[in-house]
Amino acid sequence: MLRVRPSAACLAFALACIAAQGFAQSPLLGLHDPPVRIDDPPTPAKVALGRKLFFDRRLSVNGTMSCGMCHVPAQGFAANELRTPLGVEGRSVRRNAPTILNVAYYERLFHDGREATLEAQVWAPLLAGNEMGNRSGQAVVDRIAALPDYAGLFESAYDGLRPDAQTVGRALAAYERSLVSGGARFDRWWFGGERGALTAQEREGFAIFLFRGGCAQCHRVEERHALFTDQRYHNTGTGHARLDAARRPVRVELAPGVFTTLAPEAVDKVGAPDVSDAGRMEVTGDPADRWKYRTPSLRNVALTAPYMHDGSLATLEEVVEFYDRGGGEDPDKADWLFPLHLSAADKRALVAFLKTLTGANIEALVREAAR
Amino acid sequence: MATRIQILPATLALLGLGIAAPVALADETCNSPYMTNLIKGQEDFVHVWTLGVKGLGDESDKLVTIDANPKSKTYGKVVHSLSVGGRGEVHHMGFTDDRKQLWAGRLDDSRIFVIDVGTDPAKPKLVRTIADLESKSGFVGPHTFYALPGRMLVQALSNTRDHGGVTGMVTYNNKGGYVARYDMPVANGGDGYGYDLAINPAKNLLLTSSFTGWNNYMMDLGKLIKDAEAMKRFGATMVAWDLKAMKPQKVFQVPGAPLEIRWSLKPGDNWAITAAALTSKLWLVKQDAGGQWQAKEVGTIGDPAQIPLPVDISITADGKGLWVNTFMDGTTRYFDLGNPEAPKQTYSKVTGKQVNMVSQSWDGKRVYVTSSLLANWDKKGADDEQFLRAFNWNGKELTPAFEVDFYKEKLGRAHHMKFTAKPGRQSALASLDGN
Ligand code: HEC
Ligand code: HEC
Repeated sequence: MLRVRPSAACLAFALACIAAQGFAQSPLLGLHDPPVRIDDPPTPAKVALGRKLFFDRRLSVNGTMSCGMCHVPAQGFAANELRTPLGVEGRSVRRNAPTILNVAYYERLFHDGREATLEAQVWAPLLAGNEMGNRSGQAVVDRIAALPDYAGLFESAYDGLRPDAQTVGRALAAYERSLVSGGARFDRWWFGGERGALTAQEREGFAIFLFRGGCAQCHRVEERHALFTDQRYHNTGTGHARLDAARRPVRVELAPGVFTTLAPEAVDKVGAPDVSDAGRMEVTGDPADRWKYRTPSLRNVALTAPYMHDGSLATLEEVVEFYDRGGGEDPDKADWLFPLHLSAADKRALVAFLKTLTGANIEALVREAAR
Repeated sequence: MATRIQILPATLALLGLGIAAPVALADETCNSPYMTNLIKGQEDFVHVWTLGVKGLGDESDKLVTIDANPKSKTYGKVVHSLSVGGRGEVHHMGFTDDRKQLWAGRLDDSRIFVIDVGTDPAKPKLVRTIADLESKSGFVGPHTFYALPGRMLVQALSNTRDHGGVTGMVTYNNKGGYVARYDMPVANGGDGYGYDLAINPAKNLLLTSSFTGWNNYMMDLGKLIKDAEAMKRFGATMVAWDLKAMKPQKVFQVPGAPLEIRWSLKPGDNWAITAAALTSKLWLVKQDAGGQWQAKEVGTIGDPAQIPLPVDISITADGKGLWVNTFMDGTTRYFDLGNPEAPKQTYSKVTGKQVNMVSQSWDGKRVYVTSSLLANWDKKGADDEQFLRAFNWNGKELTPAFEVDFYKEKLGRAHHMKFTAKPGRQSALASLDGN
């Protein structure tokens, strides 16, 4: 499994895409060239096939779920209307659906980093009983092979290869790798040297992000590009906060502005018990990894609410408040988190900065997804 | 994209007839006014659209037929069960205009089963399965089936784009052919959500209400209550449509998910009532002094702070009373609608650990209650009783008549009910004009 720095072919392909779609700004500004597999270079046919698969609800056991029902293009390729999504027959999923924009850049996938390649990753949702519910990989492959509208598509994209566990994974991965989105206003300012691209407040927010907030220690900014992640795992206190919240009465909004409060026992009568989530420790078995989650990229973060592995924070304002308190109340949380004592104006500036990270080609990607 | 429904001249004649002597909408009091053959006397069968449960019996969704005639040898017993295969969140049913077929929908996989109950109501038969709602309309979750002349008007709850609440209505012809779609309005205060619909032919008025999308109605209820994001995604509107043009005329703000809509069946009355599930309020829709349609809050059901969840209502044929089932406290309540501007609860009885649908016979003497709201909203553990309970109502007290335990019988979760009468008896019992 080779990952390489961009070949000329890949770059040419990316640029061809850009030209074809007439992007005003390069979606690559601020990003390094997306990793590709030299043994499986992207082509428009592979990407188109992957896109068709990604939005095809027939890929679930009962025809109700596609990948795109949880990674919704118009919702930042995430799911804005839910803290955590649900799969076939409404079965609960315990973690928030992250965006798949720029997912090509992650060294490890999922909130706990348990998977390495996109080709392998696709089988997790396809086979999970609470996501797409298929009984086996072969069942999925057989179903696709029998659909008339797929006739010949795999063969022409993959040199005569039929749909199988490899080509299905490769096609989905090819589409996901094409969802590269940089060229944000921040990139134009910081990397592109376009002075007026950010307001004074947004620039002030970036300064707080780098220095007083200490955010960039984990959400890294490199010299020539920025993914806003260190690709590592940290405990910010969100896991502990989730347990605390489970013991508290639940404040319920019945209609806009109309609230009531229910005891946890009342809610339990109509709800299945919460499923635990130990974070990275589930992968390594190391207690030191309890409640550590992978640092997410902050690119397009304005589009991907709600936030954190459990969707527990609804807005960027809430996220900033969370960090201003020094993260969650967990004695084991990362040393780098401590109360920041930001003023109200500082917080507004930090939020304003986070909203400058929206990629230049989002609308184009959403339009393309709808095809 | 929306095409007009063709209202046939014959329909208009029917509408005219409706003005002279209003056709009853009715549980028997909640059917479409375009449906013929109301059962004015004793129903023979209650058909219960039942959700299959994993690990129980054949696990399949099914139409369960129960003998409801006290004079019959099999009174109170299950006489037939028609499994349709799979589990797809069975929900509501509606008769075709000739009352010969039941259209029964599933909110998860959007399948619609057309079932012949006219030939032999003791042995319903599957006529066809309609599976093209999603591909033709982009909508998900066929909820209300409302007869139009020769057609079925279907209100959906969600969409294939994001499983959210923005949705619309669809018409099919009685042969199962897709005709047209109508988007719920998102402009002028509309939220795009849908739930129930009900027509007042005399006023050329179609009223719709609003619930929530697949994401929420399929979600574990405990998880939903704790998900503040999801709780923001409930309908808060009703819409008045010009029926003939199928164009939205006015959006009413009715917060808290207004569900079932019932027009008063009393000749001359032109008001409808609905219950907002989350806020536990009764709302009245009627014209003001200036002839403008308005929606206003007219009453409270139980203690809204406890979220009793009024989930179904059933209006009496004379428009003077309303049964309301509140799911959380398992209570069947009777409201006096003598003054529809000020409904008063005059009776209540706990009829189960959880109750959803309530249906009454035309004469109001029999009241049937079922237990299941949605597979993932039903209570967990011992409180998850599943039943049909039949009661007699003497105007003062509900007394148990019979009961079918849907878990003991290995059937599933009991949801929507419809009545039929044996073919010979039906014509004798029924008349079109509702008097
Ligand atoms: C039921 C909702 C749901 C469906 C359907 C679904 N996903 Fe996801 N997806 C999630 C959730 C939740 C996570 C995070 C899970 C975790 O971290 O354990 C995730 C994570 C991912 C990731 C990792 C992203 C990252 O930041 O590491 C990728 C890639 C992905 N999904 C692709 C897909 C593909 C491809 C499909 C279809 C084959 C799919 N998903 C179907 C909910 C869903
Ligand atoms: C110690 C490392 C670390 C520091 C310092 C840090 N973060 Fe994070 N950040 C994380 C991790 C890990 C997560 C994911 C936590 C989870 O999923 O529960 C995260 C999540 C986020 C998210 C949510 C992203 C999403 O898609 O859900 C935002 C926004 C964010 N951080 C902004 C900031 C800001 C602003 C600061 C500075 C005030 C900051 N972070 C400081 C590690 C860090």
